[in-house]
Amino acid sequence: MSSTNFQTTTTEPVDTSYPFGPVTPNEAVRRYVAIAADRPMTKMTMPIGGDVWVIHRNAAARQMLGDPRFVREPFRTGKRAVPYFVEFPDFLKGTLQFEDPPHHTQLRKLVQKSISPKRVRAMRESAVAYAHQLIDDMVAKGSPTNLVPEYAVALPIQMLANLIGVPPADRPKFQKWSAATLAVANMPEEELLQNMTELAGYLTALIDERRKQPREDLLSDLANAPHKDESLSDGEILTIAMLLITAGFDNTANFICAGVLSLLKNPDQLAVFLEDVDGVAPTAVEEILRHGRMCMYDKASGGGGLVPFVATEDVEIDGQLVARGDAILVDPASVNHEGRAYPDGDRFDVRRSDNPHMTLSYGLHHCLGAPLARMEMQVALSVLFTRLPGLTLEGDPVMDMNNLTTPIVDLPVSW
Amino acid sequence: MPKVFYVQPDGSERVVDGAAGDSVMSTAVRNGVRGIVGQCGGSLSCATCHVYLAADDRQYFDGPGEDEDEMLDCTASDREDTSRLSCQLVLREGVDVHVTVPDEQT
Ligand code: FES
Repeated sequence: MSSTNFQTTTTEPVDTSYPFGPVTPNEAVRRYVAIAADRPMTKMTMPIGGDVWVIHRNAAARQMLGDPRFVREPFRTGKRAVPYFVEFPDFLKGTLQFEDPPHHTQLRKLVQKSISPKRVRAMRESAVAYAHQLIDDMVAKGSPTNLVPEYAVALPIQMLANLIGVPPADRPKFQKWSAATLAVANMPEEELLQNMTELAGYLTALIDERRKQPREDLLSDLANAPHKDESLSDGEILTIAMLLITAGFDNTANFICAGVLSLLKNPDQLAVFLEDVDGVAPTAVEEILRHGRMCMYDKASGGGGLVPFVATEDVEIDGQLVARGDAILVDPASVNHEGRAYPDGDRFDVRRSDNPHMTLSYGLHHCLGAPLARMEMQVALSVLFTRLPGLTLEGDPVMDMNNLTTPIVDLPVSW
Repeated sequence: MPKVFYVQPDGSERVVDGAAGDSVMSTAVRNGVRGIVGQCGGSLSCATCHVYLAADDRQYFDGPGEDEDEMLDCTASDREDTSRLSCQLVLREGVDVHVTVPDEQT
């Protein structure tokens, strides 16, 4: 593509410093375009763990994420701190996310089957049925309501229980424990710990049961790996299950909320969506993943990142030398809005078809739960707006700004 | 220059000029061919680049390796004898490739 795409429409100079403090979402996008036009990456000092290169250009991000010379081993082994905005809990550093090939490939393959596009396709019908049931309950209780616990969190937890293999009778317990791992819960430390412990105990017993009597679910698959050299200990399976629970539905719930808000704040796009819900849902969901967080707030700050990597040798990316030992990460907001990949990145467009966003990462570490998350978002939004096309906001949504994922904790709506 | 013929489930066809060494997946993604997603960028871990390879073209490629074979069991649309992951189909000079995109990819 020609470099003219980089030009902004105004002649005012754009501030290309990075990171940058809160500005309007449109101004943030203007800056992302200018920054990416100026350079492929910026070196910045993180609150924890020192310096890191932050990639701004979509193509450069793909190049880095597709290059096996970037690894996570030094973080996993504790040889170096992860340069990031917050401390990563040790438990997360022991998971798939921080593994490199070949062990990563092996573990990933085991989980993949259970969460594959094929398995997820089979789960869609039950997701639709459950979404309807949640809305029936909501309608019965009457409006207004907080959509977060009633719908956005309840749906992914149910799907996760289904995937993992939690029997229907145990689902209320499972939902209570899992929800406790969420920031939304805002629980005292002690209570949270108790819930996590109960969840771990419950899962351990379930793993044991599935080892003896396998069914068609994730725990059974993991407990009964087909090859001996692939078999996992109960502890390893538990870690994977806990990762899926904590990483899985929190993000999905948050993106469902971002989707509801994006559509409510862009009535023209909601109209396009409602015209052909099933046809538009797939591209709408991609657009929410790309741009949804920009629709959530009045202000956006520049500075964010996916989990970093370390260069095992000197590597040149897009003309910039990344030295051996340097840490590097992708700022998804930056690469999702830069001018070459998105000439009109400030627009929320539910029909956008060429949408190479990197919210769910790319390459080896692209989100394992992506098919499930996409399906849940499609179902959640389609069912919600088809059933309640008159949905309206009943006040300002509340975010928990103290949490890393800044989840929406209150989304008051009526219908 | 090798050409790739992408046939959509509705029968419509799109022809794209490829480059030797590129995969059928990356050629599709770069040219915005509908239905080939390629979320993992060809690292055999997403199964969103599934295609049906024309029977006549099978002679130009080795069969699926073990990893590809396993991933082919994970595709959203049903696996058939001609099923391949397009990130594993590498273009060669002088060889045109014909593939059909499945109904559902994610
Ligand atoms: S692109 Fe992911 S398996 Fe081919």
